[in-house]
Amino acid sequence: MASIARKNLLEDIPRFLVAQIGILFAVSLVTIQTGMQAGFTRSTSKLIDESPADIWVSSPSMEHLGLTLPIPYDRLSQVRRVAGVDRAEAATIRLTVWRRVRVNQVTSITLIGGEPNGLLLPSSKITQGSFSDLRQPYAIVADSASLKTIQIQQLGDTEAIGSLPAKLVGLAKGTQSIVFDNIIFTSLESANAYATSSLTATPIASPPAPKALTPTDPVSFVLVQAQPGEDLASLKQRLESTVPGIRAYTRAEMSSRTQTYWQERSGIGFILGMGAVVGIIVGVVIVGQILYASVSDHIKEFGTLKAMGASDWFIYSVIVEQALWMAILGYVPGMGMCLGVAAWTAATQGITILITPVSAIVVLGTTVLMCVSSAFFAIQKVTRVDPAIVFKA
Amino acid sequence: MPNSANIDEFNQPKFSQAESSQSRLAAVVPQPDMAIVAEGVEVSLSAGQQQLQILKQINWSIRAGDIQLLMGPSGSGKTTLLSVLAGLLTPTVGTVYLLGQNITKMSRSQQARFRRDHIGFIFQDFNLFPALSAIENVETTLNLKGIHRRQSRQQAQALLDQVGLADKGHQLPRQLSGGEKQRVAIARALAGQPQLILADEPTAALDSQSGHAVMELLRQLAKDAGRTVLIVTHDPRIVDVADRIAHLDDGVLQED
Ligand SMILES: Nc1ncnc2c1ncn2[C@@H]1O[C@H](COP(=O)(O)OP(=O)(O)O)[C@@H](O)[C@H]1O
Ligand SMILES: [Mg+2]
Repeated sequence: MASIARKNLLEDIPRFLVAQIGILFAVSLVTIQTGMQAGFTRSTSKLIDESPADIWVSSPSMEHLGLTLPIPYDRLSQVRRVAGVDRAEAATIRLTVWRRVRVNQVTSITLIGGEPNGLLLPSSKITQGSFSDLRQPYAIVADSASLKTIQIQQLGDTEAIGSLPAKLVGLAKGTQSIVFDNIIFTSLESANAYATSSLTATPIASPPAPKALTPTDPVSFVLVQAQPGEDLASLKQRLESTVPGIRAYTRAEMSSRTQTYWQERSGIGFILGMGAVVGIIVGVVIVGQILYASVSDHIKEFGTLKAMGASDWFIYSVIVEQALWMAILGYVPGMGMCLGVAAWTAATQGITILITPVSAIVVLGTTVLMCVSSAFFAIQKVTRVDPAIVFKA
Repeated sequence: MPNSANIDEFNQPKFSQAESSQSRLAAVVPQPDMAIVAEGVEVSLSAGQQQLQILKQINWSIRAGDIQLLMGPSGSGKTTLLSVLAGLLTPTVGTVYLLGQNITKMSRSQQARFRRDHIGFIFQDFNLFPALSAIENVETTLNLKGIHRRQSRQQAQALLDQVGLADKGHQLPRQLSGGEKQRVAIARALAGQPQLILADEPTAALDSQSGHAVMELLRQLAKDAGRTVLIVTHDPRIVDVADRIAHLDDGVLQED
């Protein structure tokens, strides 16, 4: 049968376009808000998820990757003595300040100290230079996304952290997490030296090499790789009962603890979730209003169909078909636009809007549901139509 | 007419359908040669305090195969009576039998199915679907009856040929003149061989010449196939198409 639904929709092209822009907007709002939430959540635990460390050892006060109290460096040797530990490394994560000495400017950074080419700084992340070069004193690797903010041009350039020099020896890609300021990687020794150096002193051009850590120097985490075939739950218990004053987390626990913190305690997750809900509500209202207006405009035609003996189901199917066309024709360009925006923000802003095949299908389902439930309002109108209106001029 | 042989093939009445619904409803018409029978039909509306009686004790039979005109001044209740006869409006009291079946006691969906199977409508304002082409408008009737696209296209084209619009099938209603629109509406009403054609003021929106031509066409097509036609009008220029004329005045029916 000639599709009355489709043809009625296309009969008034300007109004149809306005409707489709409304749906496109709603689709984009839902996709971008949920994509940002998913991207944000994944980004908060990126360093954990991408590290091969099986277990993270920290102070019992640890809230998430970026918020913990330090533990003494000698926990590392204690952890190494626990049966089932194959490899262990200390790492520090702290917020500090990047100083551009010649122009007297500062930028906040997240300084990550660890074993070069180790569990937290795997060589796969490097695009230029290498993590091995971090074995040189006061060498750093920055994420390409940070270059603009820390205003460093090329490998070999030097600025300062505290009163100590910082020489760029490599560039990493895809390490930046949305919840951290510009991430700078360095060795554990350099990180320790930067932490204790003065922010008020003028940077020294050629300081003595950083000292090895003493057993009482503070570190943030001890990362553990278990021996092959080791049961992680029991290794975790063994670590907690053998090494004093620490808690141990598997990678999954550490990851979800960090994600949960940012989702629940920070309010950011809630705000992004709200955005998605608002998007859906806006979509329902727009589609509902347009369908209702369309049904009102064509009410005499629906009356004619009723007089001609069309069943109620046939008439509902016309309205629902119209809603489905609106859903599809709003979804396709909307999703296309979102993919474009996501690619752009990832390339230029270092912000991930996560659109996976699954999330794209979920948004499609949401759009269809949104349009069909709006059709419900329009159906209300048409069920009440008196078929005798067909004789009224 | 070159296409008449072709048309006659699907002009055969569908006895099987009529019989099965008849046995379900088990209603018996008093006079078997009557296509439409109204027994004691009254319609009252309460307007504020007042009880408004629009139709008063209508007892009326329309003979099968007749072209029946119902005339009367504006506001006399003609459209209301037509709505009651079509099962679109339930009378306050009384019963309507169509083709021997009691339509008044049918459920809404049974009434809709009956209209789909047995009644073709022609409206004053044509009520064509503006987004559909002429041929698609005609096909709508056929598709509602479950006839599929390829067959419906062929049958609709044959009907457009009959109403003299052979080459206008792909035009939209807004591209057609008033007379052409009403011809499309007639083709749509005739599609699927309904035994009853009900028309409300079919010439009111037309000038007198095309109004008369369109009614003459309807008469001819209906007579050829032995259909019963009820035309409600207050247009005196079309009385010559009628076999019989009845008058409605202030809700009271008088037959000539
Ligand atoms: N839904 C309604 N509510 C109130 N009055 C109505 C309604 N429908 C029809 N009427 C009244 O019933 C009378 C007959 O109407 P109608 O059947 O349309 O007459 P006609 O078709 O002969 O012009 C008119 O006076 C009209 O005002
Ligand atoms: Mg009238």
